[in-house]
Amino acid sequence: MVNLTINGRIVQAKEGEMLLTVLRREKIDVPALCHHDAVEPFGACRLCTVEITKEDWNGHSNYVTSCLYPVEEGLIVSTHSPKVNELRKTILDLFLARHPNSPEVRQLAADYGVLKTSYETVVDGNNCILCGICTRICDAMGFHAISTVGRGHGKEVAPPLHQVPPDCVGCLACAKNCPTHYIEYIFDNNYLTIWDKKFELMTCSRCGKKTITKEFAEYLSKNRDIPISYFEICDECHRKELAATMGQITSWEREA
Amino acid sequence: MYLDNPQQLIDWHDKIIAKQKKIKKKILVCCGPGCLANGAQDIIERFKTVLKEKKISGFTVDALKETGCHGFCEQGPLVVIEPKGLYYTKVKVKDVEDIIEQSIKNDKTIDRLLYNDPQTDKKIEKYQDINFYSHQKKIVLNNLGNINQCNIEDYIANDGYQALSKALTSMSPQRVIDTVTKSGLRGRGGAGFPTGRKWATCRNVESDVHYVICNGDEGDPGAFMDRALMEGDPFSVLEGMTIAAFAVGAKQGYIYVREEYPLAVVNLQKAIEIAHENGLLGDNILGTDFSFNIKISRGAGAFVCGESSALMKSVAGEVGEPRAKYIRSVIKGLYDKPTVLNNVETFANVPIIIRKGASWYNKIGTPKNSGTKAFSLVGKVRNTGLIEVAMGTTLREIIYDIGGGIIDGRPFKAVQTGGPSGGCLPASKLDLPVDFDSLKEAGSMMGSGGMIVMDDRTCMVDVAKYFLGFLVNESCGKCVPCREGLYQLHALTVKVSEGKAEEADLEKMEKLSEMVIIGSLCGLGKSGPNPLLSTIKYFRDEYMAHIRDKRCPAGVCRALITYKITDACTGCMACIAPCPTHAITGKKNERHVLDQKLCTKCGACFAVCRYDAILVS
Amino acid sequence: MKQNLDKLSDIFNRYPKNQESLIAVLQDIQKEYHYLPEETLQETAKTLNVPLSKVFSASTFYNAFSHYPRGEKVIRVCVGTTCHIRGAHLVQEQLENLLNIKAGSTTKDLKYTLETVSCVGACSQAPVVIVNNKYYGHVKVSDAKKLLRSK
Repeated sequence: MVNLTINGRIVQAKEGEMLLTVLRREKIDVPALCHHDAVEPFGACRLCTVEITKEDWNGHSNYVTSCLYPVEEGLIVSTHSPKVNELRKTILDLFLARHPNSPEVRQLAADYGVLKTSYETVVDGNNCILCGICTRICDAMGFHAISTVGRGHGKEVAPPLHQVPPDCVGCLACAKNCPTHYIEYIFDNNYLTIWDKKFELMTCSRCGKKTITKEFAEYLSKNRDIPISYFEICDECHRKELAATMGQITSWEREA
Repeated sequence: MYLDNPQQLIDWHDKIIAKQKKIKKKILVCCGPGCLANGAQDIIERFKTVLKEKKISGFTVDALKETGCHGFCEQGPLVVIEPKGLYYTKVKVKDVEDIIEQSIKNDKTIDRLLYNDPQTDKKIEKYQDINFYSHQKKIVLNNLGNINQCNIEDYIANDGYQALSKALTSMSPQRVIDTVTKSGLRGRGGAGFPTGRKWATCRNVESDVHYVICNGDEGDPGAFMDRALMEGDPFSVLEGMTIAAFAVGAKQGYIYVREEYPLAVVNLQKAIEIAHENGLLGDNILGTDFSFNIKISRGAGAFVCGESSALMKSVAGEVGEPRAKYIRSVIKGLYDKPTVLNNVETFANVPIIIRKGASWYNKIGTPKNSGTKAFSLVGKVRNTGLIEVAMGTTLREIIYDIGGGIIDGRPFKAVQTGGPSGGCLPASKLDLPVDFDSLKEAGSMMGSGGMIVMDDRTCMVDVAKYFLGFLVNESCGKCVPCREGLYQLHALTVKVSEGKAEEADLEKMEKLSEMVIIGSLCGLGKSGPNPLLSTIKYFRDEYMAHIRDKRCPAGVCRALITYKITDACTGCMACIAPCPTHAITGKKNERHVLDQKLCTKCGACFAVCRYDAILVS
Repeated sequence: MKQNLDKLSDIFNRYPKNQESLIAVLQDIQKEYHYLPEETLQETAKTLNVPLSKVFSASTFYNAFSHYPRGEKVIRVCVGTTCHIRGAHLVQEQLENLLNIKAGSTTKDLKYTLETVSCVGACSQAPVVIVNNKYYGHVKVSDAKKLLRSK
């Protein structure tokens, strides 16, 4: 265990833990748009930056992203120092210039007092903030269907060759975790369309509701060693059946 | 010859020296980057052809050497006749027969090919007597220009591989590290991190695998020192890497060479094969139980891959996106293994330090900045080329004593060091000693060694705009401060150069720059605003002229200048054809007329006018 | 455009079949075909066992690769700092005017590709233009036409 000071208060943490994890545990609110607990920290948005120093640094400070900084003994952290606040405002200001139409960006910026951008609005700005959550989650899921394309200001998230992604199974992990809801998907009767790819949906044999895509079901069946028939029943019906089974066991025990 | 033990290396060295003593004269033809671009290859071919035809007694084609960069690129193509040191400049293919006839067959000097000192207006025979050379201190560039590039015998004749032999047979890895640490060698790639400390940290990480990587990405525009070393003295890089590998316990090394240097890849590859053939690379080097292999990894056109973590991702076949370096790559680097990454010039210094000792090296330079630094001295200076000076040499000495001052006698305005991560220093800083710490204090940085001299016809706003534009193109795009911040900073400098900015924009640029510096993920973003901040610091009135007066004093920013044809026009019509928009009209011997509405200020007319009749205001 | 994929297996056989070889393989493909045809990217993904999305990511990240055929003559104008202050952008503009294309594109007849490159290390010869690997130094705006006609 190590002792560190956060905003004047001494806190204990496990050595090597990421600073952001500690901050969240201590209920200190620091924005982190590109952070997602299911994947490795990325350090792209820089909003979780904090000011750090140590006693033997002679007043010198460093600015680090808390999502990637491992805690150490004697660390002195300031999460809302003037420079840090200014940095957060600047980042949100820059975001507003590029994504003026995103409600999530506008709200977060407003929370930090930035109502209007001080820079030139980028003409072809869309709502993708390039946080990389979608691509990282897609990799973590094992599909690697989408990736970042190009570099620099023109970088974008896209399927390979800008065509229908051959490896996408329509699991929706990307779209459901996108902070600005940029990734579009459409449910239409028996089909799901995402990244211009059309998927047929499984139907629950009990209640008739549409569940996941056939491709996703096949993938899960093969990789988790579950019979495909499992996916012909929706989650709710599974739970109903389980509850019924549990109910039977309890009454039997009671009888015994 | 395959070397089974260190004694064989010594024997081979002695044999080569004896063989070389028999050669009466050597013809060294510079094949450095500048001379190659100037036709050196054709000169080599001509020499080969004529030498074969003429069959001069006691003189074989062996004595003709294609060397690396001799340094004085401005005067190239260069041919040197040793041992006299006879120095021929601006050699053309048609001069070759003359050179062979007069200076090889006989002992005559061809006056018209000699260097003419502009200050004394006298011809100089030997290069060692030319100011450009006599003010330098050549240590790491010593072999360049003297040896045949991929000829291992030449390298061994100059004491090559003796350092490796010494390290493997009479030093422990720890002692090698201590020697490098004591020498005070600091990374020559730009940051100046103490090399010995880096190696020690890497060695101390417990791991089954350690890597050694040479950073040959040399992305700074204007820098070509590493290119010259990789092409002209590849064995020095290999030897340095091998010693490093021995010190940290690595068995595999990589040289990352940027895509724009295909010849460096070829020469390094040749050198690697030759080293293997001779037992100096691969399994059981020099018969010891130390084995080390080197693979070449090619860049593919990305400046950001000069950054260590991005470079390692590129080596692994991924996109070159850097990562936060709170856990340094010396601890978790390539494939998460402890990795030593050093610059080409840093590695080239290592064999010299091992051979001559730490205290010898430490005596050169200044306290905390020992040794020398190679620079590419380019821009508006008279003597452009590749130079090497002891740390602590002043900018004035470099630009005036070595560089010969500004072309056309124009006033010095600024010198840019450190590439896109560095800054511009004005005339008031000419007496600044060139070393890591002094440059950083002044608002610039050493960088990899590009030194670009600017005169009064360079606009500092344009320079800042140029560097920011470069970085916007090269940014990997991962983090917001760099991707969006540099983009907006560039947009603001465009505004200034077009005369559309207000005073408040200057403050905006300074504030945004500060945020980009503290907020960026990697060095590219963190140092990106440096050129802008240093030009605002030292040339604030030039910015104000653009902002307040809508004027570009240097006559560069298109929106703020006009081209006019003056009375000096003789009507020679030379400017009419080159004009892309046909803005100039006029008959022969009549003063021409320039239509402002059509003029795009491309400068084509200005470039061809021999009568100084075009005025840029 | 269907490509002759015979040369591909030669390229793949030069390197170990893993991700570390990706960039070298793409460079060899670029050299052989003068660009990266779609099918080569798909084959590369399969052979090196790298997801297609990662192959495409790398092929679009680095400047060395193009996804469209390049011209017979590839003209690269160096726009490094030294070349810039010696007027490289003026040479670039002149070439753009003469060819009627912007840097980074190829003429419709596939004869010329015009590109910019940041520093080729021949700074003392600034401004430098490279035409199909042949270097030209001290290039003036008025030399532009000559460059196009060069061999």
